[in-house]
Amino acid sequence: MRYVLTRLGMLLATMLLVSFLTFAAFEAVSGDPARNLLGTEATEEQVMALREELGLDRPFLLRYAEWLAGFFSGNLGVSYSYRQPVGKLIGPKLEISLCLSLMSFVMIAVISIPLGIFSYHRTGGFADWPRTVFNQLCMAVPPFFTGILVSWIFGILMKVFTPGDFPGFRQDFGESVRHLFFGAVCLGIPRIAMTVRMLRATVIEEMNKAYVRTAISRGHDRRGVLTSHVLKNSMVPVVTFLGQTLAELVGAGIVVEQVLGIPGLGRFLVLSISHRDYPVVQTIVVILAFWVVLAGTLADLINQSIDPRLRLGGNRG
Amino acid sequence: MRRKMNSRLLTGLIITGLMLAVILLGTFWTPYVPTAMKYGKFSPPSAAHIFGTDNFGRDIFSRVLKGSGTTLAIALSTVSIGALAGTLIGAVTGYLGGAADEILMRLNDALTAFPSFLLALLIVSLVGPGKKYSVVLALGLVFIPSFARVMRAEFATLRGRNFVTGARLMGASNGRILLIHLLPNTVRVLLPALTIGFNNAVLAEASMSFLGIGVRPPDASLGYMLSEAQGMLAKAPWYALFTGLTIVLLVFGVGLIGEGLQMQDREVA
Repeated sequence: MRYVLTRLGMLLATMLLVSFLTFAAFEAVSGDPARNLLGTEATEEQVMALREELGLDRPFLLRYAEWLAGFFSGNLGVSYSYRQPVGKLIGPKLEISLCLSLMSFVMIAVISIPLGIFSYHRTGGFADWPRTVFNQLCMAVPPFFTGILVSWIFGILMKVFTPGDFPGFRQDFGESVRHLFFGAVCLGIPRIAMTVRMLRATVIEEMNKAYVRTAISRGHDRRGVLTSHVLKNSMVPVVTFLGQTLAELVGAGIVVEQVLGIPGLGRFLVLSISHRDYPVVQTIVVILAFWVVLAGTLADLINQSIDPRLRLGGNRG
Repeated sequence: MRRKMNSRLLTGLIITGLMLAVILLGTFWTPYVPTAMKYGKFSPPSAAHIFGTDNFGRDIFSRVLKGSGTTLAIALSTVSIGALAGTLIGAVTGYLGGAADEILMRLNDALTAFPSFLLALLIVSLVGPGKKYSVVLALGLVFIPSFARVMRAEFATLRGRNFVTGARLMGASNGRILLIHLLPNTVRVLLPALTIGFNNAVLAEASMSFLGIGVRPPDASLGYMLSEAQGMLAKAPWYALFTGLTIVLLVFGVGLIGEGLQMQDREVA
């Protein structure tokens, strides 16, 4: 329990740090948003008035504190380019991105874990070739290329869905899910290949350890040793890796959202970056950063329940 | 020590070598002018235009050649930045240890936990999107931590070995030990790390250009061309197909090299 509490404390501290750094970084580069908004023709009075309206004339730390307080109470500021509350703009997009990431994550976990575990035999040699080639090919295909292929084959040729025309869950649930499903597949393919590869390597390494040989020499069969001993020992690095995958899916999701025209958070982020809409970019970055930190913490907590040695703060033996 | 190269390494080297030769050729000579719009719109692949033409009547093969050059140049320069800075940091922290090591590595852990693509995106948005080489800078910076981590671990294990103590007893300076005695021994981890870094760089650059915040016209990289190709998917699917396959083949070849190198390393151990 103490471990969980320290971990949660660290989580909060990291989140605070991340939000501060983001705020400071955007403060440093954003220039004068009031001037940017009004253009070069505005008079000095107009700019000052807008600065006051946007609250830009107050000290830095005060604005950070206010922004942070606003972040947790749902008041995220006003978008420069849409002149609407950021929270209202982001809400529905967050929902879509979250569904996409989770769908893809479940797909990755469900497919790659059994594949990785039961492909431990036959290492090296010629019989291994097709597996290596297939594995490397899957890792080499960028998700946006899969996305293009998917929208060509399933969208244009077979007309299973209309790429770029995401209806939203409330309008057409089935069509929305189809969009997200194809997105999840594009995201999943390279990650499944990576997870299988690393899980397989871990299982093979573990199977070569002395305790496995002992167990087998005592008459246990390989399958039994695998499921009752090796599996648990191989899970720790895989859980860490899956945690990272969960974090990275958000980043990779940006591209897939763009290709398939899914109006998610990532797509909005890219749009806002090119519009220099800093309140929106800032909020999305902080949300994504929180997501990343959360995924890492979750993986750590699961790991320490698998391997009690981690609770002592020691390294895995 | 010469051993037979394993088949993965060999295949990877052949694929990558061929790709590099063709791309290098493309920087000096292309069958058609890549930007000329006069070869007939939407003609499918034929003997004259092996990859077909696009909606402006440009020859896609010539464009892919030119674009691969851009992609390759960006990938190589980002990996160089990451590897050089990472090796330097890793060497100093791993070899000397101490408080600087602790602090830098904690920072490193924090940075590697964050998805590199997001980090690069953030840097580009801070530096200013659309500036010509902000992508190289962003991706280069983002790749430093992973190299630093791998290299630090290697330098830290090597520093306690007898040959290092021997060199020190003979009066070798730290710089000499690092450069002459340790660096060549790190090649076995550095090379696979380079292949992984290269592939990440190609994919990251392609993603960013695809999103329109990386390379912009008049320059064209493979990622940018794919985003262009997506708009004409219904009429010229071959554009997307060949551009995408070029990326896949490039990454696949280097991936095989990496896999082969790691295998070879395991065989020695």
